[in-house]
Amino acid sequence: MKRKVSDYIVIALLVLFSVICIYPLLYLLFYSLKTNNEIFFTNPFGPTMNPQFDNYVRAVNAFDLPVYFRNSILVTLVSVFGILVLALPFAYATTRMTWKLKNAAVNYLTLGLFIPTQVIIIPLAILVKKLHIANTYFALIIPYIAFNLAFTSMVISTSFRSLPKEMEESAFLDGASVTKTFLHIMVPLVKPAISTALIFAFLNIWNEYTLASILISKPAVKTLPIGLSSFVGQHSTDWGAMGACFVISSIPTIAIYLIFSEQVEKALTIGGAVKG
Amino acid sequence: MEKMLGNKRVIALYTLPALLVFTVVVFYPILQTFYKSFFEWDGLTEAVFTGLDNYKELFTDDLFYESMKNGIIFAVILVVFQMGLATLLMFALMNNKVPFKRFFRSSFFIPVVLSITVVCQLWSAIYDPEFGLLNNLFAALGLSYRQNWLSDLNWAIVAVAFVNVWQFTGYQFTIMYSGAKSIPEDYLEAARIDGATNMQINLRILLPMLKDTYRMCFVFAITGGLNAFAHMNLLTKGGPGTATYTLTYMTFRSAFTVGEYGYGCTSAVILVLQCLLATFLINKLFSFKED
Repeated sequence: MKRKVSDYIVIALLVLFSVICIYPLLYLLFYSLKTNNEIFFTNPFGPTMNPQFDNYVRAVNAFDLPVYFRNSILVTLVSVFGILVLALPFAYATTRMTWKLKNAAVNYLTLGLFIPTQVIIIPLAILVKKLHIANTYFALIIPYIAFNLAFTSMVISTSFRSLPKEMEESAFLDGASVTKTFLHIMVPLVKPAISTALIFAFLNIWNEYTLASILISKPAVKTLPIGLSSFVGQHSTDWGAMGACFVISSIPTIAIYLIFSEQVEKALTIGGAVKG
Repeated sequence: MEKMLGNKRVIALYTLPALLVFTVVVFYPILQTFYKSFFEWDGLTEAVFTGLDNYKELFTDDLFYESMKNGIIFAVILVVFQMGLATLLMFALMNNKVPFKRFFRSSFFIPVVLSITVVCQLWSAIYDPEFGLLNNLFAALGLSYRQNWLSDLNWAIVAVAFVNVWQFTGYQFTIMYSGAKSIPEDYLEAARIDGATNMQINLRILLPMLKDTYRMCFVFAITGGLNAFAHMNLLTKGGPGTATYTLTYMTFRSAFTVGEYGYGCTSAVILVLQCLLATFLINKLFSFKED
């Protein structure tokens, strides 16, 4: 393949832009291994020759990082499980079953894609108080489930719709009930769509900031995005350890993206098709 | 078959839980936001109906116009720079002579999966007037262009918007690139055989065929800009003064800082109307182009 000068210019610009995307992360990784003196004066931008692994030890021991990490894992996993339990049967009933109001039900839930969270934050904060779940995990889990239902059931519906009618017919002839057919025959066939949708929900919930910053004030139930932002004021003198906290908290989402990049990108395209 | 799949009890069991959760947590609060925007309400005691007073107050509130202006600036920056860059990146990666495509795509997308807190912390270090990367970069290039980016009255909103541009350009790019990849290769190949240059293919084939993708990208960029909140909350707290307020920030402050819940609902209503209007106009604009 012969490349022209213009192709090399394009490649050079792509390299430049990927440096702009990646270098800030390297900068973070570098400073998580430095002393304050290096960060501010002697070597602000390059890698260090004398890595301070101690920063990571302090990040885990002196900060509340393990608490926030545990909270994030708990809130995210329970929410994702809740989304699955509600969205999967909903997607099945609205694509494969026959009833009059099914399109209305789908359109109603689709509203959720168009409403910015911010618009309902005031009534939601009051609701959380009234349900006596303020400053508990449920103050986050329940809204996270509700907000992700529309997208998840949409992605799974696309997959259910593509299955042939014969799948259910033969199961019913064998005497299986609807629920049995749904769980044992239909669900396994849409597994790829389920994983696509859930990976996407996982990333969204793990990084969710706005709702958490308003609904949670107690340190013991803070998730990583708001927990880390409260470090910034408290420990702003210990930059190295703070950098280590940021690095540790970014590992799960970066790892998930690198492993499942195909699914994440697919979820984006399906999501886009409806929102447009 | 029909009887099995029309079983009312099973349908209710499968759909009602999802509909119930959605109604209680999303739909009912939307109605509440609209309803309570007509009340004087502190979130604790009984709300008092005051008709359009909140709206009259809002339309004479200087902070409201400043917040609207910032939302629009934010949206324009996202459209021009985020979508512009994403488009150029998409063109570049559609070029067959570009190697390492997987690497480029991943590196553009990685900022998207980072927590907004980490991104903002990183960028406040980069913007730092004394130690920050940006000012030092200017100095290294021999430009004496030192700026206190986040505390400058005029630059702060631009600086905040660019953090969003940096983080989510990869998102817009990925949507555009997936769209472009789904165009049958034959179309592009036929144009190449006819001697079309890459730029001609980009402008005459890719862009028109990606109309629906772009409509969606516009919706994301414009509503994203109007809704902006998290980046300013982490980078500037709305400051300096009120220079980086947006409507969401106003809603947030009215309710959770000064305790005017009713007034907060009013700015939230304007925000949702703005987003719906923007979505409607974008859809109109794009359907008009068709004929």
